[in-house]
Amino acid sequence: MTIYNREAFLDHLSERLGTPRHQVDKEPFIHRNQLPEETLADLSSDELLDLAKSTSEALHVTFQVTDQTALPAVLDEYLKRIGAGQLILPTEPDQVADYNLQGWIDTVAKERTVKYWDPKADRDTNLTTSQDSMVAIGFGDYLLAESGTITVPTTPGQGRAFNFLPTHYLSIVKRSHILPRSTQVTKIYDDKIKSGELVTSNINYISGPSNSGDIEMVLIVGVHGPLDMTYVVVNDR
Amino acid sequence: MGIQTSDKPLLERVKESEQDKFMQASVAKSQDAQHIKREDSRALLGNWEQWRELGEQIRQRALKYLPDYLEQFSDNVEKNGGDVFFAATEEEAVDYIQKVVKETGAKRIVKSKSMVTTEIDLDKRLLAMNQGLQLMETDLAEFILQEDDWAEPTHIVFPALSKNRDQVREIFMKLGYEGDNDPMHLARFARKYLREYFLKSDLGITGCNFAVADNGMINLVTNEGNADLTMAIPKTQIVVMGMERIVPTMNDAEILDNMLCRSAVGQKLTSYVTFEKGQVAGETDGPEHFHVVIVDNNRSRALGSEFQSILQCIRCGACMNVCPVYRHIGGHGYGSIYPGPLGAVLSPILGGYQAFQELPYASSLCGACTEVCPVKIPLHKLLIEHRRIITDQRHMQHGLNNLMMEAIGIGTGFPWLFRTAVRFGHLGLKPLASKGEVHAENFIKPEGSVKGGPGLVGGWADVRDLPLPPKNKDSFRQWFAKHKENQPKPGDQKANQ
Repeated sequence: MTIYNREAFLDHLSERLGTPRHQVDKEPFIHRNQLPEETLADLSSDELLDLAKSTSEALHVTFQVTDQTALPAVLDEYLKRIGAGQLILPTEPDQVADYNLQGWIDTVAKERTVKYWDPKADRDTNLTTSQDSMVAIGFGDYLLAESGTITVPTTPGQGRAFNFLPTHYLSIVKRSHILPRSTQVTKIYDDKIKSGELVTSNINYISGPSNSGDIEMVLIVGVHGPLDMTYVVVNDR
Repeated sequence: MGIQTSDKPLLERVKESEQDKFMQASVAKSQDAQHIKREDSRALLGNWEQWRELGEQIRQRALKYLPDYLEQFSDNVEKNGGDVFFAATEEEAVDYIQKVVKETGAKRIVKSKSMVTTEIDLDKRLLAMNQGLQLMETDLAEFILQEDDWAEPTHIVFPALSKNRDQVREIFMKLGYEGDNDPMHLARFARKYLREYFLKSDLGITGCNFAVADNGMINLVTNEGNADLTMAIPKTQIVVMGMERIVPTMNDAEILDNMLCRSAVGQKLTSYVTFEKGQVAGETDGPEHFHVVIVDNNRSRALGSEFQSILQCIRCGACMNVCPVYRHIGGHGYGSIYPGPLGAVLSPILGGYQAFQELPYASSLCGACTEVCPVKIPLHKLLIEHRRIITDQRHMQHGLNNLMMEAIGIGTGFPWLFRTAVRFGHLGLKPLASKGEVHAENFIKPEGSVKGGPGLVGGWADVRDLPLPPKNKDSFRQWFAKHKENQPKPGDQKANQ
């Protein structure tokens, strides 16, 4: 935890700019317009859901909406479609209880190998478990309608690599957590980090499966991250 | 590689680029495709001009208070448990990174795409440490270039644009690939090959799209997922950032992310937009050791100068995607890792006029780059400013050209001398002229064109048609004089009829 060479470096910049240091607080920064906040801000809940669906599907995401009671059946159908292989789940007891999924997990564990991102395990164990998993089912924090994006802050129970190493990925998100744009969710995270409510080293905004156009500009879906993505939006009001 | 990718003169590079027909077709295809996607995404967002004004305001604010924001950022990185190294030069940056590599005993390094690490030639300098180190570029395009003996990038967003699928297949076959040239199959091979490497890596090096001053997090915008694996798997991460990457807050970064994604690839957001810092208590992956290297490397030359606005750049590549010169010569023609209008402005600042004095002239000054820039950098005006400095202050135009300009000045200053020059222009230039095959061009240039010649004449005739002046008897002046003689004069009988 050291800062090297700072003073000489910053003094030089200050000299080049021709202004003394430590002036920033004297001029409050007010954005020239409020477009980031205003854009799409007037959409209703139904309109947000429709927009989220259309933008997500344009990103090759399989998008489903379900009631909580039907969630286990939706997940069963998804796993059937994916086929055999290890499933990795986050260690998030509050979320599992929230979605009432413990019974479903117990049932699935009888049919296929179910592993967890384990906060008590070491780095290598969690990385190996994720790498060996055919599919991950995780919890998304918010869904952004404009860009078809799920947001996932890293927690001890759902690490960074959980979202990238498994071959297939499904994210469960509450309908009440659909927001218009990245502006709203960034404001939420910024506030929570500053207040100490959110303690995390990493926040992922994930918009569909990984992709690349690096070879002759041909779109390839599925490069380093998951090959495909499914969002399941659960009605919660 | 360093910022300079070639020491050949501009015209030689241009000629070489002109031979590469696949590259030219790829660049044209890319420019056309990106134009449609970019304009569609901006139209869908709406109020693009107002968004540009906001983007410009954020970037200008960051530069105006750059020392303060960098101080705030570094304080926050330290509070978060990380180390920050301020590097005035590329040597200082590389020395620090080598020191971290040695101290951690790292053997396998993974890198995600980063222009600034290419600028400081980091890859080769790390490999030169000679301690059994392995290093892998994991972005698909950068991986292709690395395995092709560190071939030159041709675009800042699509570095391997000049490689076709057959070339990629040949490169991958050296690594054990046995499939066809289908881009999907090639990408799947790279995924498997690099995944094995990722899982054994112990140090990750990333760039940084934006660094957030008020919480010490870095922000990365990618599509493939390799950058996130680079940040998740190794125990040590080194972030290398140009000092101007700073923004005041997360929301400022998020606004610029939206503009970057639309301007670079026409997406609302790329597949992965990430805010991160070093690991916090309870987490099991992510970097336990987090270092940020903040690089000046001559960027400060632009601060407080007429070129300060080039530091607003968010590296979207939109300027090169509309540039007619870039379309013709591609990235390799510029001889810099920063090509296109951005590179023509930035390269002489970072690398000096000695190496890049020709680049400000690699532009038609049409202004399309300025129009498309999401943060309103007046690129074509900065190119003119470079030209002014090169010509006026550094006195680069000298010798024969000066003599020729002086001669032209004298010739046009005295009417009798000018008339004599016109009279003998055809005769004087005839030895340098030739006619091509029978061609429609011959109808408008019946006497053929001047090819080559000394100084300015040669430079002009190399890239533009210079028709041989007509014989004196066929000149416009002679024709006009005869025509005027035959005109009816006032008082003439015919004129009064």
